[in-house]
Amino acid sequence: MTEQELAFTQDELDEIERIKAKFPTNKAATLRVLWVAQEKYGHVKPEVQNLVADTLDLPRSHVHGVASFYTQYYKEETGTYVLDVCTCLSCQVCGGYDILHHLEDELGIKAGETTEDGMFTIQEVECLGACGYAPMLQVTNGVYANNLTKEKVDKLIENLRKGKKPEFESMVMRQNEKRKKELSQ
Amino acid sequence: MPEVFIDNERYEFEGDYMALQFILDLGKEVPFFCYHPSMSIPANCRQCMVKAGQYIKDEETGEYELDENGERKIRWFPKMQTSCALKLSDGMVIQTQETSEEAERAQKDTLEFLLINHPLDCPICDQAGECPLQIQTYKYGPEGSRFEVKKVHKPKRVQLGPRVTLDAERCINCTRCVRFAEEISETNQLTIVSRGDKNYPMTAPSETFDDPYSLNTVDICPVGALTSTDFRFKARVWEMNQTPSIDITNGKGCNIDLWTRDNEVLRITPRHNPEVNDYWMPDEGREAFEQFNKNRVSRPSITLDENNQSNTSWNNAVETFAEILEAHDPDQLAVFGTPHASVEENYAFNKFFNLLGASNARFTPHIIPGYGDDFLITDDQAPNTNGCRLINLEETDDTGIQSAVTSAKVVIILSDDLVGRGVLSADDLADRYTISLATNQSDTTEASDLVIPITCVAEHAASYVNIDGRIQRSFPAKETKYTNRRLNLEMSEGRLDRYGTNFDNWVNEEHKIDCLPVWEFLNHLGERIGLEFQYDHSRAIFDEMSDRIDPLKGISYERMDEELGVQLPIEQQEVTQA
Amino acid sequence: MVEDWKSYEPLIIPDIPNLHRIEVYEEHDGYRAFRRILDNPEEWSRTNVTNEVKAANIRGRGGAGFNAGLKWSFMPQPDERPRYLACNGDESEPGTFKDRNIFEFNPHLFIEGALIAAYAMSVDVIYVYIRGEYIDWVRIFEKAVEEAYEKGYLGEDILGTGIDIEMYTTYGAGAYICGEETGMLESLEGKRGYPRIKPPFPAQKGLWGNPTTINNIETLANVPLVINNGADWYQSIGAEDHNGPVLYGISGHVNKPGVYEYPAGMPVEDLIYDVAGGIRGNKELKALIPGGTSTPVLRADQLEGVSMDSNSLRDAGSMMGTAGMVVLDEDTDMVDLLWRITHFFHHESCGQCTPCREGTGWLEKVLLKIKNGEGEIKDLDLLLDMTTQMEGRTICALADAAAWPVRHTINRFRDEFEERCKKSVHAVA
Ligand SMILES: Cc1cc2nc3c(=O)[nH]c(=O)nc-3n(C[C@H](O)[C@H](O)[C@H](O)COP(=O)(O)O)c2cc1C
Ligand code: SF4
Ligand code: SF4
Ligand code: FES
Ligand code: FES
Repeated sequence: MTEQELAFTQDELDEIERIKAKFPTNKAATLRVLWVAQEKYGHVKPEVQNLVADTLDLPRSHVHGVASFYTQYYKEETGTYVLDVCTCLSCQVCGGYDILHHLEDELGIKAGETTEDGMFTIQEVECLGACGYAPMLQVTNGVYANNLTKEKVDKLIENLRKGKKPEFESMVMRQNEKRKKELSQ
Repeated sequence: MPEVFIDNERYEFEGDYMALQFILDLGKEVPFFCYHPSMSIPANCRQCMVKAGQYIKDEETGEYELDENGERKIRWFPKMQTSCALKLSDGMVIQTQETSEEAERAQKDTLEFLLINHPLDCPICDQAGECPLQIQTYKYGPEGSRFEVKKVHKPKRVQLGPRVTLDAERCINCTRCVRFAEEISETNQLTIVSRGDKNYPMTAPSETFDDPYSLNTVDICPVGALTSTDFRFKARVWEMNQTPSIDITNGKGCNIDLWTRDNEVLRITPRHNPEVNDYWMPDEGREAFEQFNKNRVSRPSITLDENNQSNTSWNNAVETFAEILEAHDPDQLAVFGTPHASVEENYAFNKFFNLLGASNARFTPHIIPGYGDDFLITDDQAPNTNGCRLINLEETDDTGIQSAVTSAKVVIILSDDLVGRGVLSADDLADRYTISLATNQSDTTEASDLVIPITCVAEHAASYVNIDGRIQRSFPAKETKYTNRRLNLEMSEGRLDRYGTNFDNWVNEEHKIDCLPVWEFLNHLGERIGLEFQYDHSRAIFDEMSDRIDPLKGISYERMDEELGVQLPIEQQEVTQA
Repeated sequence: MVEDWKSYEPLIIPDIPNLHRIEVYEEHDGYRAFRRILDNPEEWSRTNVTNEVKAANIRGRGGAGFNAGLKWSFMPQPDERPRYLACNGDESEPGTFKDRNIFEFNPHLFIEGALIAAYAMSVDVIYVYIRGEYIDWVRIFEKAVEEAYEKGYLGEDILGTGIDIEMYTTYGAGAYICGEETGMLESLEGKRGYPRIKPPFPAQKGLWGNPTTINNIETLANVPLVINNGADWYQSIGAEDHNGPVLYGISGHVNKPGVYEYPAGMPVEDLIYDVAGGIRGNKELKALIPGGTSTPVLRADQLEGVSMDSNSLRDAGSMMGTAGMVVLDEDTDMVDLLWRITHFFHHESCGQCTPCREGTGWLEKVLLKIKNGEGEIKDLDLLLDMTTQMEGRTICALADAAAWPVRHTINRFRDEFEERCKKSVHAVA
């Protein structure tokens, strides 16, 4: 991909304007516009970082420094699905590493790698704020898959292969009986 | 006046002060890395730790509270403080490593951390000898290493830009380089990339660090992480000799140091002058060191037949010059001074021809419109345009120079490549007898009939008036065939100068140029033609000027040395194309 | 210590279906506190609101436990500069997963609390900074903000009072350090999340150099309760000096992990054995990390009679932190656990300051060595030394947060660590 081919559509530019309007400086929009770019291209490799910098009229070095600081930005191309397996504290003690290693075995790759068919990337990540539902993983910066077992992981992979992502799971407080009842209806 | 107590001594202070700067100004020491007086304070290296607290004052009486022994009560701050970011306040108590073991301990602890991932390759590092990390470690560091696990590996020998090389493993992440590009040169070409102990400075992937001031980052990098690509491995600091001077590549007159070894200028670094260039200089000015060593005019030369110049003796050069002068009336001479030479050279040169009966020398400024920036690079390509004006040389433009040449039989040019910079063409000079007094080979010397080699800024003491009307001076840094470091008290001696002899391979006669200061050559010429003209030293010329020229009244080399140059009471003249 | 907790009805996340919808929230007295203030500007002057909240002693739920009203009172007098409230929804402290429940189940309570805070401090713009991984919750929350705008609670001329307050939601992209308040400000300004040196404090120079206050999401969700029921009522909930409802996140080896809302000062044993259903597989309790990774681990024998409030936990040798409790059973390998904790801090150190950048990595590497059975006893002392070299020497508290668990886990489980170390070469002849 050459830099010439990279461009935001009018819709995206409109969205960028809406983001900019939230802040008194263009610089403040950096993180959000990197997100817009990553949603579009699936990564923020250097040429995409430059597009962001140029669109916001910011130094390219600034955008590069920011992109490299935050772990959710993909600085390289990834598989269609990125499986971020939490192995931090609560997940560690609840079998997070078993889930990670099971995935590695199933997909034949190590954490940090992408399957040959370009379908899956596995990453080991830090706490995702779902410690009560450990072990868990996040799919491509999106939906959380909670309370994992090996069987659940196999099913997840099978579904993803078919293009079916897990649905958002509402984790209602156990004290909220009425809500739970309503949710199960 | 508010007071502070540092290592049990009382000091008064006025205004806003950070503790570290205050301590440094007192001539005392606290080790530090990230702090730089001209940039923002990130307090990230955590090296400058001191113990600090506050004497407790009774709010009502304003008196200090005393303990049972009659000593003032101190409320110590709960943590060690970074002195670079610690604002002085009335009644503050500070203990540096000299009086507090805790401070000493904290400094040692930080140094230990700084060293664990440092490659410790001082023997092959360019920074060795002038490396703050090396020096602070020696003075304040831990004894052995307790680090027995794997070091972090980072990119090495990265060409950050055309002039700067990065060794990221040596970097201590002080962010001085990044702050320089943000706050001083404002090119914003650098950032820290990645996170945590993988951090290092970088450009954007598609960019190169071609900041016109990039080499300043090499000066301020407190370790050997940033080095000058050009200077890498060329010389060790302790082999070199450091002489104060002035950047002559443009009109700003940045204060600089010339670093010489065996009479070669090996590098140029900025010298602090808050009135002119602060701690900085443009990269271009640093590259000028080549012109002091290479491509020099050494020994007079003369054109015998059409195109062949050949060296000749000084006697013959004087003789030829004298014969030409004797054969022509003063009004047949076109005499050109130059903004590229010092005030003293122009003055002596002009005076010589005045004495002969010629009118004032002409000069034309050397301006490239739009070349400069708002910082230290100027449109003016010469160091002394205002100096020429000060001594009343006749300012003219290209056409003025050309018509002067047309109506003359003899053209005498002081140190100005008028052909090279397009004011004249070689053809213009073809039918005139042309004499160049020059430091370097150029299109102009090539088109000349007689070339007299003269000293350059690195070889003489002389002054220059910058675009803002500030007069500043140089010192001789390298010997010519006729000067001797050991006899000239103005010259400094490096280790090699002191201990080298003509018979070891440290010293090379070739590096000494066969040239004379303009005034000295004119002394000889004057003597030959019976002119009363004699200056033993540029200082004598300056003294005469300061007697005769109003704005120079009361100014001397001593004052320039003490005050880092002197602002002249002259109208700030916009230096533009006339 | 709270004893009658069994009858407690959640207030922050009450058991009301669809409360996240503004009509439902309004039906249940939502935005009443805010309206009351606006309707009685004399009784509820900005100062009075601040004083009431200060008197209630809402201890910051982001980890440091600072009195929210007191923090508000540090804002300088209004001048020509814009003023900001930055709401911390970064929630990245391992073991912590409570704020997301507010976004999902009772977002308007938080919005109302933030509005009251903004009113009290004459704030012009509220930023809500949510961790990037919570994108699904960002979307849910953004809907709530939209509703609040539609109903005139946000924007220009709020409810016809002439007061203007904007609320902008934004999100991060993966960096624990952006939960540190000044790291968050840098991130909001679009930069690398490098925490700032203090002073100047954010109230003096915060976002873009202007007066700014930072509060945690849960902290602000408590504010409407105080205005509706008064500081005295709020004081009466929970423990002495640490009161109000708390969202306890319980994870690890319990039968019923999850978020629970109970008063501050809950008996630890009740939380583990009653509320969270006891230890999985009927195992023995080994230890508890009471409030997120940074808070020192407590051995089971240190937990007797301890309750979840700052005084009790301090006396026991730990801290309340975020009330994210990680329960550890008898099989837990403390060496592995501590190594993984240091791995986290090594990964998340922003790298600005020397002791943290270098120290976190060194801690992890030495612990890995010990975990792999290659450590020596002297390494344990080296680790303890390092913790003193890091603590209190850095720009932000991440280095402290990394040092404490190392010091306390080694000290409290020294035998286990020594057992994993190689026998010294010089030992036994
Ligand atoms: C390393 C570090 C990470 C932090 N992460 C969070 C966080 O994720 N969420 C949060 O609310 N506070 C976090 N804090 C605390 C904040 O700095 C700040 O104290 C808090 O947001 C203030 O709000 P409060 O007074 O309402 O608790 C963190 C602090 C540190 C030192
Ligand atoms: S390269 Fe040098 S100046 Fe730049 S951050 Fe590293 S140590 Fe500091
Ligand atoms: S303590 Fe660590 S995280 Fe905090 S500023 Fe320093 S390096 Fe960054
Ligand atoms: S530890 Fe895995 S989600 Fe918190
Ligand atoms: S010089 Fe003070 S922290 Fe670096």
